[in-house]
Amino acid sequence: MIRFDAVEVRYPNGTVGLDGVTFDIADGEFVVVVGLSGAGKSTLIRAVNGLVPITGGSLVVGGTELRGAPRRRLRELRARVGMIFQSFNLVARTTVMQNVLIGRLSRTGFWRTLFGVAKAEDVERAFRALERVGIVDKAYTRASQLSGGQQQRVAIARVLAQEPEVILADEPVASLDPPTANLVMRDLQRINRELGITTIVNLHFIDLARAYADRVIGMRAGRVVFDGPVAEASDEVFERIYGRSLRAEDVLPGGDE
Amino acid sequence: MTAAGLVRPRRPRRRWLLAIEVAVVVLLVVAMWGIAPNWERLAQAPESLVRYGWLMISGLFHNPFEAPWSAHWLAAIGQMLASVAMAWIGTLIAAALSLPLAFLAASNVAPRWVVIPLRQVLNLLRSIPDVLFAIVIFMPLYGLGPLAGALALGIGSVGSLGKLSYEVIEGMAPQTIEAVRATGARPFQVVRWGVLPQVMPEIVAFWLYRFEINIRAGAILGAIGAGGIGSLLKSHFQDRNWDQIGIGLAVVVIITVIVDSISAATRHRIIAGGRVRPDPVAQLS
Amino acid sequence: MTTVAGRPRKPRTAWKVWAWLAVVAGLTVLAGWSIDFTLSPSIRNVDYWLRTILAFITPNWSYFPRIVEPLWVTFSISLVAAAFAALFAIVVAMLASRVTMRIEWVYRLSRWVLAVWRSLPDVVWAMLFVAMVGSGPFAGTLAMIAFGFGIVVKLTAETIDAVDRGPLDAVDASGGTGFQRARVAVVPAILPNFASYALYNFESTVRASVVLGYVGAGGVGTALAVQSKAGNYENVAMIVLATLVLVIVIDALSWLLRRWLSR
Repeated sequence: MIRFDAVEVRYPNGTVGLDGVTFDIADGEFVVVVGLSGAGKSTLIRAVNGLVPITGGSLVVGGTELRGAPRRRLRELRARVGMIFQSFNLVARTTVMQNVLIGRLSRTGFWRTLFGVAKAEDVERAFRALERVGIVDKAYTRASQLSGGQQQRVAIARVLAQEPEVILADEPVASLDPPTANLVMRDLQRINRELGITTIVNLHFIDLARAYADRVIGMRAGRVVFDGPVAEASDEVFERIYGRSLRAEDVLPGGDE
Repeated sequence: MTAAGLVRPRRPRRRWLLAIEVAVVVLLVVAMWGIAPNWERLAQAPESLVRYGWLMISGLFHNPFEAPWSAHWLAAIGQMLASVAMAWIGTLIAAALSLPLAFLAASNVAPRWVVIPLRQVLNLLRSIPDVLFAIVIFMPLYGLGPLAGALALGIGSVGSLGKLSYEVIEGMAPQTIEAVRATGARPFQVVRWGVLPQVMPEIVAFWLYRFEINIRAGAILGAIGAGGIGSLLKSHFQDRNWDQIGIGLAVVVIITVIVDSISAATRHRIIAGGRVRPDPVAQLS
Repeated sequence: MTTVAGRPRKPRTAWKVWAWLAVVAGLTVLAGWSIDFTLSPSIRNVDYWLRTILAFITPNWSYFPRIVEPLWVTFSISLVAAAFAALFAIVVAMLASRVTMRIEWVYRLSRWVLAVWRSLPDVVWAMLFVAMVGSGPFAGTLAMIAFGFGIVVKLTAETIDAVDRGPLDAVDASGGTGFQRARVAVVPAILPNFASYALYNFESTVRASVVLGYVGAGGVGTALAVQSKAGNYENVAMIVLATLVLVIVIDALSWLLRRWLSR
């Protein structure tokens, strides 16, 4: 369960990332956060696993308070929260398997990390994660040899291997072509429904948001300006969130219906 | 999800990589045995390090302005400056010699029958350590002393500077050269106005970098008799004058760091261009 | 003040530049004087040198068996020293880069210590270790480890600074420690460059080890020192030839390895 309570994020140079954000997310929800660049979507999602520290209010994720959390508590929390990124963030020169095993790092000791020898059960978890996203045959391929969509699926496998309670996705499809973007979103949706993992996704494509979200949170200038079920997220609502009329760039190119 | 996505691949085993790693380790062990490391001495090493370190540092605690310490400091500084002078002259010689050679070794400037053999000569020069130049040529000719050292550093650096310089020249944008040529300029003018402005910043930066290296190389030459801080330290080490060794090392560190900083700052300034100062004329109108 | 039709005045080269150049020129003259710069050796020396060169171009081949062992020792010193220098360097390089060392004061201290460390020439390290552990190849090895370490650490730290930060975020987000971050996301990214630096260091070490013998640190340099002091230039020629071959072979192998690594 994720509870935002008047959360404020103020950067050292004075800019305000989040300005009094309050809402709850129940276990198993699939939430899509929308808003223009700089509206606070990224800050919001990175606050959930402490990559961005909060400067005011209270943010509790699965029973852990993030405000002022020391390094150790953050690491324990991050073990339970998985994240995928817009630029995939795979280690290019190593294999898919090694990348997926990054998800198990929080449970891997010093010597195993040093020598790169994983526990058999972790390898098994990695294989099962890769099978779930459908690229297990690439397990020993170098990550840099994969296409963008495949790399993102490896990232999802990495997150699955963590066996997390929450999955965060920061603009996961912005670098992908429309068919692949839909594949990735479908994977995320499937994982949410089959495994019941709470999922929060940042998107700036309205049609994708409408197609896959259960709940939409709209951000503008660091504040939540809309929070409701996807059925209520009409074009007018989006125009209100964006503060301008909708444009072609707000929709996936090619208009995949 | 295709059918292929369901088959788990086997972990690839690269036997030959393992074999190479084992061979390297074996070679290392054999080499270590050949060095006959004195394990007792090694165990004592931290203790002797601390002991000698303390002896050296204690040389620094005495007031450098009183005799006899002032004499020691002056001697060390004087010799270090001699090493710097040696390195400077040597680098200048190397710069003067390597620049024309670099043009002759650049495939976009000189014909192949010149470029290829010249590059081999430069490679050969690079492989020969400066010490050999000193021992074989310059010390017999000029006797012991910094002159032989400077010349050895000079000739010794030609190979390396030559290579770096011709690589810069080959990296030139041909469009500028064409443009200058198209105005009907003579070859000398093409070089003066088209080539040099493009390559000189990087090449001069390499000269400065080589200067930094040569200061350190000068110490080696000093140890074989070319004067400078190298010979001073050598005699102190032989006499076990730990406090003077401390002073000498401190001087080496301080002056080297200072010269390195000035050189690095100059290099950055040359490559990046000076700061653009606001035009006072434009501000008036 | 602008002239005809707003044409700008040609900016004069700052007087500072001229001043610096003048200072540099002055220092150059001073330097040349202090080392008694002259290009004309005395006649006696030329004669001596000609005899040296003559002796030099006729190497004494029968001397070769006597230097096989010192050559092997020099090679061993270089190999062991390069290996240990690389090992220490990759660990310490993590301390000297802001990317892997997020504690500011440790980073600053490391950089400062390394600057001092690298200002000591290899010969000085050799003399230091000879004085501390006695003469011989062991001192030479320790000296080359110390010297090579300085070179490789700096290059590696600079590479770490330039590494892609994305995968580091991924490790952090998975709950990894700082050590795991470095080992899993940084090391694989810098490995090709690091190996190249390690090989470059190996090449330099081989060259430097030749000289070590001059200060008593073992290897072929000892024979070199003895023979050249004794004036046996035919033997010196043999040593030089053999050493050159060694250096060229190692350079070639190193070049091949570096090519293979960056494929």
